Amino acid sequence: MSREATDNGILVEGLIKEFPGQRVLDGLDLTVASGEFVCLLGPSGCGKSTLLNILSGLDGDYRGTVRFGGRAMAPGGKPPLTIGYLFQEPRLLPWLTAERNVDFALENSRVPRARWAAIKDHYFALTGLQAFRHYYPHQLSGGMAQRLSLVRALAIEPDVLFMDEPFSGLDELTARRLRVDLLDIWRQTGKTILFITHNSYEATFLGDRVVVLSRGGIRNQITVDVPRPRDYDDAALFQVGKTVSATFIEAAEAAERGRSEGTAHPD
Amino acid sequence: MLLKLGSMLAVVAAWFGLSLLLPATVLPGPWQTLNVLIENVVDGQVHQHLLATLGRVAGGLALAMAVGVPVGIVMGLNRFAEKTLDVWVMVALTVPSLCYAILAFIWIGLNETAAIVAIGLTSAPSIAINLWEGVKNIDTRLFKMARVFNASRWVIVRRVLFPQVLPYIMASLRFGLGIVWKITVLVELLGRPDGVGFQLFYWYQLADMGQVLAWTLLFTLVMLFIELVILQRLERRLFAWRPEVRL
Repeated sequence: MSREATDNGILVEGLIKEFPGQRVLDGLDLTVASGEFVCLLGPSGCGKSTLLNILSGLDGDYRGTVRFGGRAMAPGGKPPLTIGYLFQEPRLLPWLTAERNVDFALENSRVPRARWAAIKDHYFALTGLQAFRHYYPHQLSGGMAQRLSLVRALAIEPDVLFMDEPFSGLDELTARRLRVDLLDIWRQTGKTILFITHNSYEATFLGDRVVVLSRGGIRNQITVDVPRPRDYDDAALFQVGKTVSATFIEAAEAAERGRSEGTAHPD
Repeated sequence: MLLKLGSMLAVVAAWFGLSLLLPATVLPGPWQTLNVLIENVVDGQVHQHLLATLGRVAGGLALAMAVGVPVGIVMGLNRFAEKTLDVWVMVALTVPSLCYAILAFIWIGLNETAAIVAIGLTSAPSIAINLWEGVKNIDTRLFKMARVFNASRWVIVRRVLFPQVLPYIMASLRFGLGIVWKITVLVELLGRPDGVGFQLFYWYQLADMGQVLAWTLLFTLVMLFIELVILQRLERRLFAWRPEVRL
């Protein structure tokens, strides 16, 4: 996992995505440097999930270019890098044990079988789940289940991690712990992370950069110039959070206005 | 379990109480009925008829599942299939089982095949509906998860779709069994020279209530055995991962 040797950056240029009667992404440009932690912040309906669907190769119906580490993704094709994905809910297969859920991801990955055991040991230990490997998902708490889906995402040795509001369904205390754990893991592995959220302070705490989306495209970008490891109660961090929050609210209001003006296609 | 046993005892007691009030030609008591049943078993005529009926039940159920399960799954997953087929499933459900039996015996002849076709086609719509409703509840978000993790279409069907559909297949198997039993008896009454249905009809014509109840009791006992001992165990083993089955 040499973070300097390979380029795991993401470059999005002029991305346009239309649904019938509605342009969700209108020429979006986005750069994520290799190893960077970027948070995407935006009101609901601004196209965050649409963007992730396109970047992860689930939605091939778009215009514009997407490059991973300099290699272009063919529309309708798969991303040229390995993607790890965290959803808002754990999305575990309930009939498989924790370990078998990770195996499910490994079986469909390029990771050679000989390394599975070591990888699983490593990430189960890192997330504190080693005692729960034989538990079924319904026997795990919400936080543990989300940790397990983090193990699953990391086990396939992704170059890039996509995270779609992964902590929004958890109570604040659990979410805080998981954020700290995530930053630890990120520091150790140097993955490129694109993290979607609608929580300004979460975005500020986690990201190198916060990209605020409004309807169709980027409204503003804020670099979080606070040294790591960061502290929740850091005054400087709180100041940046306030700026991010204000930008986010502006973006949300702009999106509202845009919606009420474009009454031709109310959704 | 205790509650189940208690309610069964209560019903038997009520049966006993009623039988004291009514003449034996109308309602023989539980003890007399059991005696008749035991005599039948000792005579050796029971197993022949029971096996004939069980064979038809198995054949009919297999046919009903073979038709109903794929139709139900396709309807649950595909909106186009749902819109095209739902009227026909409803029509098929509405046709009385007697009609299927008469048509099968006329078109195919008074034979085993006709009996099984009649049983299978009568119960297939109920199974299809059962599965259709169930498949609508499966978690499609897991398909997206599997696609993100690069699972092929075949892997998704086998490892994400099938485990989710299996509980509904099992449920429709139990549900289907309940229907198939009843139809089998009717079909036997109409066009077969043996089986529990034939026996029921025979003793009905002779107005022998003791025999009618004895065959009914036998039937119920065998059915309960299959349901409680075989199917519930199988289900418990298959779905150990489900929280509600874990005891």
